[in-house]
Amino acid sequence: MPIILENVSFSYSKKTPLETSALRNINLRIEKGEFVGILGEKGAGKSTLLKLFNGLLNPETGTVRVDGLNTSSREAKRRIGMVFQQAADQLFCRTVYDEIAFGPLNFGYSRKEAEERVLEALEAVYLDQTMLHRNPFSLSGGEMQRVALASALALRPDYLVLDEPITGLDPVGKKEILETLKKVKDEGTAVIAVTHNLKGFFPLLEKIVLIREGKIAFQGTKEDYLKTGCVPLPPITSLMRELKERGLPVNPAVFTVEDALQEILRVRSVIEKESTSNTGK
Amino acid sequence: MIRLEKVSYSYPDGTPALENINLAIKKGEFIAIIGKNGSGKSTLALHLNGLLKPQKGKVIIRGMDTRDISKLPGIRKLVGIVFQNPETQFVGRTVEEDLAFGPENLCLPPVEIRKCVDMALAETGFEKYRYRSPKTLSGGQGQFVALAGILAMRPECLVFDEVTSMLDPDSGTDVLERIRKLQRKGKTVVYITHNLEELHAADRIIVMDKGRIVLEGDPESVFADPSLQSLGLTLPSLIELAARLKTCGVAIPWEKTSSPHSFAEEICQLFLKT
Ligand SMILES: Nc1ncnc2c1ncn2[C@@H]1O[C@H](COP(=O)(O)OP(=O)(O)OP(=O)(O)O)[C@@H](O)[C@H]1O
Ligand SMILES: Nc1ncnc2c1ncn2[C@@H]1O[C@H](COP(=O)(O)OP(=O)(O)OP(=O)(O)O)[C@@H](O)[C@H]1O
Ligand SMILES: [Mg+2]
Ligand SMILES: [Mg+2]
Repeated sequence: MPIILENVSFSYSKKTPLETSALRNINLRIEKGEFVGILGEKGAGKSTLLKLFNGLLNPETGTVRVDGLNTSSREAKRRIGMVFQQAADQLFCRTVYDEIAFGPLNFGYSRKEAEERVLEALEAVYLDQTMLHRNPFSLSGGEMQRVALASALALRPDYLVLDEPITGLDPVGKKEILETLKKVKDEGTAVIAVTHNLKGFFPLLEKIVLIREGKIAFQGTKEDYLKTGCVPLPPITSLMRELKERGLPVNPAVFTVEDALQEILRVRSVIEKESTSNTGK
Repeated sequence: MIRLEKVSYSYPDGTPALENINLAIKKGEFIAIIGKNGSGKSTLALHLNGLLKPQKGKVIIRGMDTRDISKLPGIRKLVGIVFQNPETQFVGRTVEEDLAFGPENLCLPPVEIRKCVDMALAETGFEKYRYRSPKTLSGGQGQFVALAGILAMRPECLVFDEVTSMLDPDSGTDVLERIRKLQRKGKTVVYITHNLEELHAADRIIVMDKGRIVLEGDPESVFADPSLQSLGLTLPSLIELAARLKTCGVAIPWEKTSSPHSFAEEICQLFLKT
């Protein structure tokens, strides 16, 4: 069963001079087990969209259903694990342990089960156990972000909804967390991530939703996104697109350094063959 | 301009954060600080205008010691910091009030304060948010405004702690351009980031690990260092691609690895020269 948004619109500060229309006429369907990237410029409406998924905001018009459930229901909330853009905002416990255990305990799992989940989640975000007794507010930015993600993972949600989950992580940390997200996805969880980090996410994304000024400007597969000529793109893909535009016979649908290397070398040998056969004539 | 001598710092709960840091930052330099999560970058930044004081060693800002309380107003006028999380530094009820806060603190006359605020709003195209509460801005808008505020104050030295982390690639490039412009006019810039793609044109990169400076040099030499991976770092995609192409006999000069555009130009020149 999916998350379905039908004709959803949302405005902040309705009926005041500061009324801001953030989303208009959104129709969106996210299936179990999908890896979805939500892209768009600052202020486009991405974070607002995510907050509609878990009932933190309610649509002004239209409906949001999670597996057919109303987003305010407890069961819907259990199925959605959420990490906010400002990880610090969602931390509130005295220790990292309590922070990660909060979700499982809140949803009625035993202390023992909760502990297992805490340890598993901690490992998944590459923090070591000495962190467990630390106060979450005394952590570095990247450490807080990992704890926030661990709290969401500990719920073992059906939908993992993430707002810029890797921005504060060091480059190796980014790679590790992306591995974790891939694993979670392969186990059947839908991963829905707002991100500007195309370099890291593009290889994993299956579906892309591009938001522009509160409306969906594109939604579809990564392959179709490339065909539309939309931006943004990861640097490697921009490079390949430009090579093609300049007349090199490369396939621009390349997202990793390894694939770019192979593709450029392949094209080189094609060109070399052509020129030797030309001079041969 | 800024000198750190044998600086060590542990937080009150005992967590060690800086270990014997020696660093001299020259006027007009663009210096980048990178390193793993928890390696001490933000803690170092907080030392640069006296928000934290070293337990051992000293920090000297143009002759002023940060431990000397009477010098703090002077130091704050010289060094402006923008933090990782813009929300922690919003103090005003409206964006306008918020932008005025910095210049007010520097005791600028009201006309000057107005000028700073108007300039910041105009430069960012954020006039329409003048009367909004800064807390209601989106993540990226918040970062943008926080930056505008500090840029309008034009302090001699600007410290940026992951200020493009929530910006889309275009806005990020825009911000970096503005920062560079100031630097070219002689301002000193300390730039902390996890986005190594931004560092192609830095004068110097400092790599931190466990509270220490473990590697230092210009971008080309730092990105060629074999210990990067173990320091939590990976190469920017284009630089990695250039390094791998090189082993296959395709040499892309360093300057051309700065953007997809220049990289593509170079490849086409190499491959299509006939
Ligand atoms: N307020 C605090 N109280 C106690 N320890 C702290 C506090 N702030 C940071 N630390 C610890 O000090 C060390 C250095 O933290 P710092 O914030 O300087 O790292 P950083 O390099 O900026 O990391 P990140 O890339 O995650 O932002 C870390 O071990 C961190 O857990
Ligand atoms: N609490 C609020 N009150 C009023 N307006 C708001 C509020 N929160 C967000 N907005 C506005 O709604 C619009 C969409 O904001 P949203 O946070 O969804 O953007 P975003 O796509 O997540 O941007 P970013 O990438 O910068 O985080 C923006 O114009 C923003 O200023
Ligand atoms: Mg947002
Ligand atoms: Mg930091």
